[in-house]
Amino acid sequence: MSSQPVAGTMPKRSPGQPRGVGSEQSGKDTLQGLLFISPALALLATMIIYPMISTIRVSFSQGLGLVYDGWIGLANYKELLSQDPDFLDRSHFPPSGALANNVRWVVVYITLSLVLGLGLAVLTTRVRYESMMKAIIFVPMAIAATAVGLIWLFVYSPDPNIGVLNAIMHGWLGIKPISWLGRESTVNYAIIMSYVWASTGFVMVVLSAAIKGIPQEVIEAARTDGANEWAIFRRVQLPLLSLPISVVTVWLFINVIKVFDIIFVMTQGGPGTSSRVIAYTMYTQTFGGRGGYGAAVAVFMLILMIPFMALNIRRFRSEALT
Amino acid sequence: MTKRRLGVLAAVAVLVAAIAATVSPGGSAKTTAPAAGSVSILSLWGGSEKDAFLKVTAAFTKKTGVKVNYETNRNYEPALRTKLAAGNPPDIAIIPSPAILLSFAKQGALKDAGALGLSSSYLKARFDPGLTQLVTYKGKVYGVPAKGNSKSLVWYRPQEFKKYKITPAKTFTQLLGISKKFDSKGKTPWAVGAGDGWPLTDWFEDIYIRSAGPVKYQSLFTGKTKFTDPSVVKAMNLYTTILSDKYVGGLENALGTKFVDGIGKVFGTKPSAEMYVEGGFVGGIATQQTNTKLKPNRDIKFFPFPTINPKYGSPVVFGGDYVVAFKDSAEVKQFVKYVTSAAGGKVWVSTGAVTSPNRTVPLSAYKSPLVKAEALQIQKTKAIRYDGSDLLPSTLGADWQSALQKIFKTPGDTKKILADFQKKADREFKK
Repeated sequence: MSSQPVAGTMPKRSPGQPRGVGSEQSGKDTLQGLLFISPALALLATMIIYPMISTIRVSFSQGLGLVYDGWIGLANYKELLSQDPDFLDRSHFPPSGALANNVRWVVVYITLSLVLGLGLAVLTTRVRYESMMKAIIFVPMAIAATAVGLIWLFVYSPDPNIGVLNAIMHGWLGIKPISWLGRESTVNYAIIMSYVWASTGFVMVVLSAAIKGIPQEVIEAARTDGANEWAIFRRVQLPLLSLPISVVTVWLFINVIKVFDIIFVMTQGGPGTSSRVIAYTMYTQTFGGRGGYGAAVAVFMLILMIPFMALNIRRFRSEALT
Repeated sequence: MTKRRLGVLAAVAVLVAAIAATVSPGGSAKTTAPAAGSVSILSLWGGSEKDAFLKVTAAFTKKTGVKVNYETNRNYEPALRTKLAAGNPPDIAIIPSPAILLSFAKQGALKDAGALGLSSSYLKARFDPGLTQLVTYKGKVYGVPAKGNSKSLVWYRPQEFKKYKITPAKTFTQLLGISKKFDSKGKTPWAVGAGDGWPLTDWFEDIYIRSAGPVKYQSLFTGKTKFTDPSVVKAMNLYTTILSDKYVGGLENALGTKFVDGIGKVFGTKPSAEMYVEGGFVGGIATQQTNTKLKPNRDIKFFPFPTINPKYGSPVVFGGDYVVAFKDSAEVKQFVKYVTSAAGGKVWVSTGAVTSPNRTVPLSAYKSPLVKAEALQIQKTKAIRYDGSDLLPSTLGADWQSALQKIFKTPGDTKKILADFQKKADREFKK
């Protein structure tokens, strides 16, 4: 989703000809190139650059009515990072708050999605009903996150007559029903699991396509050399998959930093404030009447994403050039 | 050169990330062009509330020929703020929170009642002055009360009460007694939809207004009394005493239960709890959505939330909706006139979904026995006060819900949670 526009806006040039050299020919090329990309640039400018600059500007004001209304300096950022325990509470260890929850999301969600997606990709290529298995696992990806939230609300319901999970635990195992979304210690993981369910299919499809792209000769050569299946996976497939894995990881990372919808549907950040994340904080603050503070949260979120985007592109470039 | 292109790409990537960060996740910003002879209305009503309102607008169109373009958005506040920032608000909006309403009035976005052709004597003849006072800014009234519900109701199943020889409580001590009795019979006395924060705020408000009195109640929710006040701590003790782990079927269980699911616990086909405290709208949801076999007064009934300090009697905490106007066209004027008229009110209450705060709407217009009883409670009470959490400036409203969830879960931390909340309140009320 995030890397598509990148390819479309790359400046065009003929292979082998360096850009920017002061010859007449290249000047013409540059002009032509600019002409070609101008519609895209205009679109980016109005839809992305302007809103971004506007958001940054609003973040230095109170932002009542969602517009810039006078400079207040770094007050919003100062409050966000040091005086808002719902966002970041460093008074105890480990720190808590929306930022800490997002870290939890990053670690658990990315790890689980990758491990499960990779495992399924490797396994499904080895079974007979490959396409059917893949289709089944991919289906949740086609469901809107809000609907995923509603589905899992039912799964997690503390009432064993409604909640599948508690029905199994209570009915078959005799364990007292657990209120997965009502308990501070479980609520984040419960929501993360439902999101993993929804995105594992995507990871699997991308990685299994990449696996298919590995030349069969390489695998056969390894086999001839006496490698067992695990060694083939670990020493041959995994290294060859490192690029798609890193691309998927960045995709998951961006997904996780902006996660909002599923939390809004499932817990509204509760119980208390225990399942708030960065994007949820931005929403409640912005539309609760503190536009400037919400904008500061948005800018903070943007800053978090930049290194990962850059990393991805660098990786993308270096791989494309070899 | 590769580096330069990398730079361009990185910039693009940043922009892409920026979309992800700045795109509003709120509701759609669909707008309807105000054609001649029509009004556009935005509200958060869905289900039976929406159906009831559409009957009112249909009657209005029939009478005046003015078309109504109605739009529902559960997240009305983000919708209104973005539409307003874009210079494209609806003609009319329905706003339940006086605090949010006033924030729009302060922005200069709303038309006052005078500009809409409603004189103060006209309003005085119809509405409790307390209700119009709440939406008054610099001497001008910026909203007219449209409909409302009592939030001081204890819903129960009459058959269960009969079975265990229990009579409705008159005092809080009796209410605790009923809870204890159900508990001793192995029943769960209370269902609480604590997964949504707002049912807890209503619980607290009912307790606070009865233990500290209506004056202190008003002063607390308008920033004059501090949330660290001993009266608040005392009310919180009552709140956590009755909403204890064993009386609500497990605190975590309650925190994982949403408002509508809580109704299902008491009035569903497989009930697992006995009583539910919430507004008059519970009746409509229970009988029309949860379990259509319910018979009012036989399977579902309520009694007023019992008194705590006899001095303050049995006040009503009232949750309602205001009609506000962003424009003052002739059609808008016609509409506000109609919804505040007895004729409009009659159509509305006859749907059985709402009560009207309009005094000129006769009790005989009510068709549902439950709603009629509720309207009677509102008319008879000595003190009527607006839902406190709706009086809090908006970000505080959400924080207050979170705070009440926290206190519900860890009563031992009450004082610390209240102190934290007061810090936020200091900042918001100062504005």
